[in-house]
This record gives sequence, C-alpha cells and structure tokens, in this order.
Amino acid sequence: MKFSRREFMKIQAIASASVVAGIALPASASNLIASRDASKIKWDKAPCRFCGTGCSVLVGTQNGKVVATQGDPESPVNKGLNCIKGYFLSKIMYGEDRLTTPLLRMTNGVYDKNGDFKSVSWDTAFDVMADKFKKTLRDKGPTAVGMFGSGQWTVWEGYAALKLMKAGFRSNNLDPNARHCMASAVGGFMRTFGIDEPMGCYDDLENADVFVLWGSNMAEMHPILWSRLTDRRLSHPSVRVHVLSTYTHRSFELADNGMIFTPQSDLAILNFIANYIIQNNGVDQDFVKKHINFRKGVTDIGYGLRDTDPLQKKAKNPNSGASTPMTFDEFKKYVEPFDVEYAQKMSGVSKTKLIELAKVYADPKLKVTSYWTMGFNQHTRGVWANNLVYNIHLLTGKISKPGCGPFSLTGQPSACGTAREVGTFSHRLPADLVVTNPKHRAIAEKIWKLPEGTIASKAGYHAVEQSRMLKDGKLNAYWVMCNNNVQAAANINEEVVPGYRNPDNFIVVSDAYPTVTAQLADLILPTAMWVEKEGAYGNAERRTQFWYQQVKAPKGAQSDLWQLMEFAKRFKIEEVWPADLIAKMPSVKGKSMYQILFENGNVNAFDLDEVPKDKLNDESNYFGFYVQKGLFEEYATFGRGHGHDLAPFDNYHKARGLRWPVVNGKETLWRFREGSDPYVEKGSEVQFYGHKDKRAIIFALPYEPPAESPDEEYNLWLCTGRVLEHWHSGSLTRRVPELYKAFPDAVVFMHPEDAKKRGLRRGDEIILASRRGELTSRIETRGRNRPPIGLVFMPWFDAKQLVNKITLDATDPLSKQTDYKKCAVKITKKLS
Amino acid sequence: MKKRLIALCIATLITFTALPAMSVTQDLTSNNGGVRSLRGLVEISTTNKSEMLKRVPREQTLIDRNYVQQPPIIPHSTRGYYINLNVNKCLSCHSFKNAGEMDAPKISVTHFEARDGMMLSDVSPRRYFCLQCHVTQVAAKPLVKNTFQPVKSLQ
Amino acid sequence: MLINLLKRLWLIMRTPSSAAMGFILLLGFSGGIIFWGGFNIGMELTNSEEFCGGCHAPIVAEIQETIHYSNRSGVRAICSDCHVPHNWTDKIIRKVQASKELVAFALGTINTQEKFEARRSHLANREWLRMKKNDSQECRNCHQFKYMDFSEQGRRSVKQHSTALASGDKTCVDCHKGIAHRLPDMSGIEGW
Repeated sequence: MKFSRREFMKIQAIASASVVAGIALPASASNLIASRDASKIKWDKAPCRFCGTGCSVLVGTQNGKVVATQGDPESPVNKGLNCIKGYFLSKIMYGEDRLTTPLLRMTNGVYDKNGDFKSVSWDTAFDVMADKFKKTLRDKGPTAVGMFGSGQWTVWEGYAALKLMKAGFRSNNLDPNARHCMASAVGGFMRTFGIDEPMGCYDDLENADVFVLWGSNMAEMHPILWSRLTDRRLSHPSVRVHVLSTYTHRSFELADNGMIFTPQSDLAILNFIANYIIQNNGVDQDFVKKHINFRKGVTDIGYGLRDTDPLQKKAKNPNSGASTPMTFDEFKKYVEPFDVEYAQKMSGVSKTKLIELAKVYADPKLKVTSYWTMGFNQHTRGVWANNLVYNIHLLTGKISKPGCGPFSLTGQPSACGTAREVGTFSHRLPADLVVTNPKHRAIAEKIWKLPEGTIASKAGYHAVEQSRMLKDGKLNAYWVMCNNNVQAAANINEEVVPGYRNPDNFIVVSDAYPTVTAQLADLILPTAMWVEKEGAYGNAERRTQFWYQQVKAPKGAQSDLWQLMEFAKRFKIEEVWPADLIAKMPSVKGKSMYQILFENGNVNAFDLDEVPKDKLNDESNYFGFYVQKGLFEEYATFGRGHGHDLAPFDNYHKARGLRWPVVNGKETLWRFREGSDPYVEKGSEVQFYGHKDKRAIIFALPYEPPAESPDEEYNLWLCTGRVLEHWHSGSLTRRVPELYKAFPDAVVFMHPEDAKKRGLRRGDEIILASRRGELTSRIETRGRNRPPIGLVFMPWFDAKQLVNKITLDATDPLSKQTDYKKCAVKITKKLS
Repeated sequence: MKKRLIALCIATLITFTALPAMSVTQDLTSNNGGVRSLRGLVEISTTNKSEMLKRVPREQTLIDRNYVQQPPIIPHSTRGYYINLNVNKCLSCHSFKNAGEMDAPKISVTHFEARDGMMLSDVSPRRYFCLQCHVTQVAAKPLVKNTFQPVKSLQ
Repeated sequence: MLINLLKRLWLIMRTPSSAAMGFILLLGFSGGIIFWGGFNIGMELTNSEEFCGGCHAPIVAEIQETIHYSNRSGVRAICSDCHVPHNWTDKIIRKVQASKELVAFALGTINTQEKFEARRSHLANREWLRMKKNDSQECRNCHQFKYMDFSEQGRRSVKQHSTALASGDKTCVDCHKGIAHRLPDMSGIEGW
C-alpha cells in the first residue's frame, strides 16, 4: 500500500485520535476500494417477517450479523420489490432491548406473582414452569392448560406446538392470534367450499379487468400486491379499480369508483349485487346448474359475547351456523328486497356508484377479482360476508380462472401456512381435519404413533374464550408465544388484564422483545427470531417458502421450536396421561413426553448430516437430528393425497416457494379448475371437491345490525387498523428508528367538521372513551386517512395508547373472530 | 325532591369513596414487574399522556443509508403532495426529465425495470406509489436504540 | 355666516323647482349610497366561502387539507382571494362571467362529484390560463416578489425565484399548481 506524504499524515492523525477515543480503526480507513474478500456479503433468501403477502427478500450477512436486505429479484411474488417495512428488515433484530435471559417474577429468590422480574437460568425457568403446568394438570386436568400461538410461527413451530398441546398435554386449548385475523375467512371457505384457503393466486393481479377491494386498504397493508395491481391498472387503461371502505384511505388514490359505506352495510351491498346479477341476466346458468347448491342460513345468531351478556341472551339462535336447502328460485326471491334503493339507504353510497359496481360483476365479459382483509373478517357477520362475496362469484361463474375470483388476503406471514394448514386452532388438526371428528382424530393418532383416544374430542377455548377463562380462573397454566395479545385483544381492561393477573394463573410469554404482554407475564422467555432459525412460512396464495438460519441468536435467546421441544423433556408421560391411556400402548411407559412426540421415528428420521455443511442450524445441532425436516415430513403426510400435497422438504430450500397442492412436482395456480388442479377429474371442468358432491354452496343470508352502534352519548364509530410503516403491535417496526420516525405515534383520524363540532383542532389532546375504557390521544384532521363525519380511525400499534382498552370483544358467532372495526365511542377535549 | 337529594348525596359519597378503592385494585391487576416495554415503565391501567404531534422539518440534510440497497429517506415534508390517478407530485421534481432543473436527486434507474425484467423508457408503473418505499422523518429521538451496524464501507 | 347659509337653504327649499331639484339630489345620493352599499354587500356576499360552497362544496372541502387553509399563523385565503380579481373592473368582468355559471348550475352541469371529476381538468386549465395571463395577480396580492426574503427560503426556492420569477420568464402558477385543490390529470402539462 502506498500513500503520499500528506495522506500518511492524515491517517496518522486519525489513528492517533482513535487510539485516544479507544476505537480500533481498520488498517486502511480510507476511500480505497476494499478488497473483494473484505467487503464480501453472504446473501441468502428468506420470506419477509411481516404481512401475508409473502415477499421474498435477500438477506446479507457479514461476521454473524445481518448488514443488508433487499427485494429478491427471483421471487414471483415481489420481483425485487419490498415495501418500506421489508426494506428495513435488517434492523428488526437489533433493538437494544432484545431479551437475552429468562425473567421470572420473584421475591426473595422464589417465584412470586407480585414480585419483580429477575433474571434466571433456562433450567430454573423451565423448572418453575413445569412445576406450574404439572400442578395444574393434577388439580384441574388438561382443560386448565392452554397456549396462545401465532401466524408468525414457522410451520414446524406451529406443528410442534400442536403436538405438544393436543397430543402431549391432551388439551385443545391451543389457538393462534390468527383467530383475530382470518378466522372468518376460514369459516367462509369451509362453509361455502368445504376446504380452506383461496382457489386463486396472485397471478390474478396480472389478469383481471376489474379489481374490487372490499374492506382492504391494500395500498398500506399489502403494498407489494398493490404495486402489482397498480402496474396492471396503469398499464391497461381499460382496467378499473373499485374500492369500498368505511373511510377514505390510500387505496382510493387509484380508485375509479371509490365508495364510503356505513359500517356493516357491506352485507346489504353484497346482497344487492346478487340481486342485480339475477335481475340483469348475469347468472351463468350452466355453471350454477352443474356446480352449485343453495342453502338458507339461520339468522339472529348473536354477537359472540359472554353467554350472560344481554345481547347474547336476546339472540334466537346464538352461535348457529345451521342452514336448510333451497332452490335457485327461492334464493332469487330471497334477495329481491335488496334493490338499489335499499342498498343506497343502508350504505349511503350513491345509486350510480352501486350500479357501476354491480355491473362489473354482472357483465359476463369482465374478469373480476375481489380482495378483502380485515373489513370482512373482523366483522360480527364475518363468515356471512365471506359467504356473500362467494355468492356473487359463484352466480357468475367468475371463479377459479385467471383474473377471476374472490381472494381473502392474510395479515400474518404464515397465517395460512402455520395457523390454517397446520391447524393450530382450538378445533383443528392439520390439513383441515378437526378434533371433533373421531375419524380425523384417528388419522392424527396413527401418524403420530399414539394410542387411540389421546386427542380430546371437544374443541378447546378459542382466543377470546381463553382470555375470558383466564379471568374466570378456569384456564390456569398459559403459554403465550410469538404474539402480543395484551395489546392485540379487544376490551383488555375488562377481559384480558384481569386474567393475566389472576392469582390462580401462571402466564409464560415467549418473545424477542419486552412487550406489554410480557409486562403482565409471570415468566418471560427470550426468543430467537426470523433468520436466527431455520423456518417455513405459508403465504396467502398457498405458497410455502423456506429459509435457512443465517445468523446466531443473541446469546441466551432460544427459538420457539427449541423451547417447545425442550420443555416436553420435563414431563414423564405418567405425569400427563391417565393410566388407562398408557395401558393402551405400554411401550410409552416411563418415557418422557419429548421422546414420545419427537423421537417417534418420524420426527427424528433425518440425520444431522443432512443439514448442509455451510448452514447454521442451532436446534438440530442441539437435539442431534434434522429437526425441521423430520417435523415437516411428518406433518406433510397429513395432506399428501388429500388435496393438501406439499413437495419434499429439500425442494422448498431451492424454490422461491411452491403453491400447494404440489403434485408430481407441479404447483397448483387455480384450484377446482380442470387442467390447473390435479384433483379435478377429466371432463368435469370445475369441481368444488371440498364438499362430497363436489358442489359449492350459495348461502341466503340477510343484513343484521352490528353489536354496538353510535348513540346520543357515544356518538362516533371507532374503526381500528394498521398503517403502512408499522406491523401489528409495532414491537419490531417501532424499534427501527426510520420506521418509528415515519409514523411515530398513533393519532385519531377525524373529519374536520367533527373536530369543529367538538371545539377541537388538529393536534389537540383528546379523551377517547367507550363503555369499556378511555385513553388520551391527539387529533389528526388531514393526511392519509380521511374518515367521513361520524367515524374516527385509530391505528393500534402504539403501546402507549392501547386502543384495545376501548374496543368491544364482540365476535363473529361462527368464526369467533373479533370485530375491531366497529364500536361506539365519544371524544372530548382533554383539559390539562 | 328531598329523597332525590339524599340519593344524590349517597351517590356522590359512593363515587368518591369508591374511586380510590378502584385505583388500588387496578394497581393490583396491572403490575409490570419492573420490565419496560415500548409503553415505558408505565402500568397498563395508567393512562399515558399523549405525545405531541411530531413535525417533519421543512428542509433536512440528506439522510445516510444503512446499506446501499435501502431506499433513500425523504428529507423534506410532503404535505399536500398527491400521488393518484391524475398526478404524481414526487416525479415533478425527481423524474429523470425534471431532476436537473429542480436540483433534486434523480429517481434510480432500477425504477425503470418492469415486472418481467424489461427496461422501460420511463418509471415502471409498479413503482408509481413512491411512499410505499420512501418515507419522511419527523424530528424525534428513536424510541429504542438500534444496534444495527452498517458494513465498514458505510461507517 | 351660518345664518346666511340657512337662509339660502330655506330659499331653495321654498322655491318649488329648486326644492324638487334638491329632493331629487338627496334621493339620488341616498339611493346611490343604498345601491352602492347593496351592490358592494352583494359583491362581498358572493365572494364569501359560504356562497361558493353552496355550489362548489366538494372543491371547497379540498382546500381544508392545504396550507392555504390551516397553517402556523392563521393567515388564510378564501376562494375569492385567488379566483376573483381584486381590481375593480376585472372583478366586475369576472362577476358578469359568473352569471354563466348560474345557468350551468340550473342545468346541473356539475351537480355530482363524478361530473366534477370529469371536468376537473377543463376547469383547472381555464384557471391556470387566466392566472398565466394576469401574471398570477391573485397570488401576488399576498406574495409580493419585492418583499421576499431569499435568506429565509429553501435552496431550491431561491434558485427558481431569483432567476425565472425575477426575470418574468415564469409566473407563480407555472410551478405552483394544485396548492389549494387536488390536481387534474397532469399528462401533457409542462413541468410534470
């Protein structure tokens, strides 16, 4: 290396300065181009950690740390693009307050529910935890043990949790936070098609003539899909975009027909469209004759509140999803009252706009794709809304073909992959099997090599029920993993916080960062995240994507998978199973739960040397076999040959994801369609094979009012949701300074006239109150969200403001998913 | 009337005596055990004081990138800058055509690439909504320090 | 002196022809004042935001998000500040032109948001052209070039203002479009 004298002096000066400051500088801290080796970054693929779009990113690592991320140009989902959150994935693991040691509430060195958190070893943590779980099992049985999981779990984490809870502890009290997110979509799919998840795929974005967004702010919540939709709209001037919402948001920027409707009136609009299609000869008669059954659903089904709630008592058929067959003509009559006048009266949308919308569905020449997310799903009639949108696609035959179809988007990276496909719901098993069906239980017990009768036959507590049962003291040993439910659940004052602090309960929270949920735990377990472990996610278009571990977790943090498997070692099977069950399979005697669940010849079938030499894999090295592969292959046996086929494990590490069913190495783009879906028989064109007679069902369902509407005192609607820059409770994105500064604190978006009426101006501090609680926030009268008069919007990412103190825990009675979009509030100026 | 007055008195008395009792139980039900979340070391039952609306400074110096693949941050306010079916305000300064005259950074050529990899003669429509990737920054201290280390050449 | 004056006035009033003359004059004056006042009140009323909002509600709402409506110091512009010339003759001409809008209103030419959106481009272009022709006079009523403190402006603003604007090469509205309303389709517009 040669330097001029002047340069040399400069380097000297810097070097001596840095010695004084105690910083070690590299030998050539100059603008010389570094050598290839020194500046080498190791790149590997991984799906994004955030929403359900499932973008692939390239993760750059150097010296055991992530130093860069970029959009993966090879990925068919995002083709090199990311949204702002995806671009900042590099920084989500490096918040200064990463948890690196288990923390237990203690007083004088022993566990105390009212003590302060003290650092303990993993051994002590698991000792205390196992003790509590064992005591609960002894005293109250399996129904007092529960777990709240996540659509952010990797596939094998969800699967291991499912085995641990439903087979090991024999408790069906396992539910994912995906219950808050897409349970209504699941309910809709199961009811109409008899099989879960969308029939179409993202390729519809490049093929449709018309897009309709029903309660989806895709521009902020699924930005990469929005960029594909924008591409289509701007490149093809004849393409049209219709956007429906209860307030104006960024997706309206591209809307040719934007519609603001009164909350809940989407049910009336959907029925109006069905009626319009029938009245204007838009029905594909042949398709309907061949592939559709009609049924009339039971009405007045309540609001998923506690049975003691007056609203619930008033309902004639609480929680009923029953239905009776009907004919097309009867259906035609049923929807007749839903004319444009009625729809306009209910929704407040002009007749011109409503008819413009109805026409695109009724016109047989137009290819229409409908998208929705939380607008439909977080709805006290969410399953109905899903059923009703299927109705209009089924009446017109606009389904299961390029550019045509109803498509439910998901909010979490593996809501489909882990929550739905693995079946981590309180009533489910993998591949759409359910615990209430003895045949299904038998299938699972056989695959898992367990005695008959291991799995309990009654569905467990769902998410909202878990909170209620914690409060009532019926659920006592509870593990919250990979989610932040104290911030995410509705009505936390009345229904969540009391359960966590109930002296009878022991609450464990596994997380990478201290969340508000962790603040209410009794034991906090530090967790490895994202590329600190090998993983698999399944996105909204049935695409399963894998990634390798790329960096080590901070010392002390362990992955959810490690925690689930290691904890199982703490239980002798005699401590969890009754003698008569053990007697059915004497070979399990004396074994640990870990041995029975994970050393069963399936999970431990693959040797450590199958892990590629240049890849990290902390769990496999610890347990001594290729854990992820064994779990995946055992799990995949559930779906192979049954419409849920997954490819062999190794294929996924090579591909940028594959859309199931993957049969003979070929993925499926449009299900139920001959030529695209291998499960459809030759010559039948379309088969909705989820139901035995291979027909889908059109449901006759009415409009029913929401659980709570504004009145004289609580005179505003409150709608909650997300913003582009923050994901869910913000525990990751708000620790990235750039994302924090892009949208620092939650605000209440309000119409300027509503503000004026209350003597408020932009930036004023206000008290936002409902019948359940209050919080203080600030008023925003301009910017990205512009609510109509009478409605306010507030994002829920802000841990300081906790909008879920205000929201109502009314759920869809069928899906048990909470309606976070509608409750009544009042706003007053805060006098300081 | 007298009855009503008595009732009112009792009600007030109950409210006043009940209030402190309620706050005691609330303290009991909410105990953060000394762990600080993004909420701070504040009990969940406590109502936080609201942060002031934070402002985007009108003109900032260019903000360094953490890695070369990161989309640049917007160093100015974008109030009233619309991007919709009619117009893209950002491109009126940052487009290849206008950037020189407006003395603004040019949009990167990566933005000309279409989904199928073809290089177009103008910005690809899939990149139309700039704010999906580029964001402004308010004047604020980070909530939590981030220990991310850029590669040496960017330090 | 005063007595003399009163005497003369008395004389005039006593003489019928002069009295009539005086009366007419008085009537004329007061009538003039009433008419002029009424006219001006009319002018002012038709310049108010409420009046404009009567027909142009959606577009009046658009300004509420902008800096010309709400800002640090509370100085704000209303519709007429920008859309009605301040100079008397021009104002009268504009008001007379506005009578055409009454016909359009009666015919319902722009009575829905959709119809407005369809004509947004036409209307905006007409306004830009008008302001281009009068050298952005309505902007300059408040934003006077000779009082601009360049040291308080941003780097790019100074560059444009000290050159193109100073030389008269460009006028305000050439660059500052959409400062109070949403923009129409801008394809083909210079600088966009």
